[in-house]
Amino acid sequence: MVQAEMVEATEFQELSNKYSVSGVPQTTINDGAANITGAVPESNMLAELKRIIGK
Amino acid sequence: MAKLLNEDVVKQIEEAFAPMKEAVHIMFFGQKEGCSYCADTQQLLEEVAEISEKLSIEVYDLDDDADLAEKFNVDKAPGTVLAAKDGETVSDYGIRYAGIPSGHEFTSLIQDILLVAGRDSGLTQDTRDFLKELTEPVLLQVFVTPT
Repeated sequence: MVQAEMVEATEFQELSNKYSVSGVPQTTINDGAANITGAVPESNMLAELKRIIGK
Repeated sequence: MAKLLNEDVVKQIEEAFAPMKEAVHIMFFGQKEGCSYCADTQQLLEEVAEISEKLSIEVYDLDDDADLAEKFNVDKAPGTVLAAKDGETVSDYGIRYAGIPSGHEFTSLIQDILLVAGRDSGLTQDTRDFLKELTEPVLLQVFVTPT
């Protein structure tokens, strides 16, 4: 159910522009439902996913 | 072609791979045209795969092997899938790399290989419980730069 993809931002600039990547790492969830710059501790990731999915 | 990994680095990776429990399978997807980093990425992964008997690699082409690429949700080249392998069974753990895993990402690659080899995400029970209840797919994309 979960796919995690590392994206090398300079090789895939079109995608980086689409999600307005300005600092790295940037974590983009479900095609832009959330964009988080910087490290994402597990608890933050869980909270973010719950918010997006609405649970 | 000259090696990308020097002897010292190979030695360090050998030590890191020593505790590898189970086998890990690398699926590499290249593309014949317009892929500046495909050749380097393929070479890098092949050099890594040589370091441990628990690692295997298969090289595919995004266009020629379009069905397989679609099955594994690979839509960019170079594209890399890290999967578990038990006997002939390949299990997808959802781990993908789009672009060359060099610089900091080389460390991530080695750590991801160890994670898959251990067959344990290391996540908390809370997270596991939440993920078990998912009914829709989740896509996490982490944008990085190699330096």
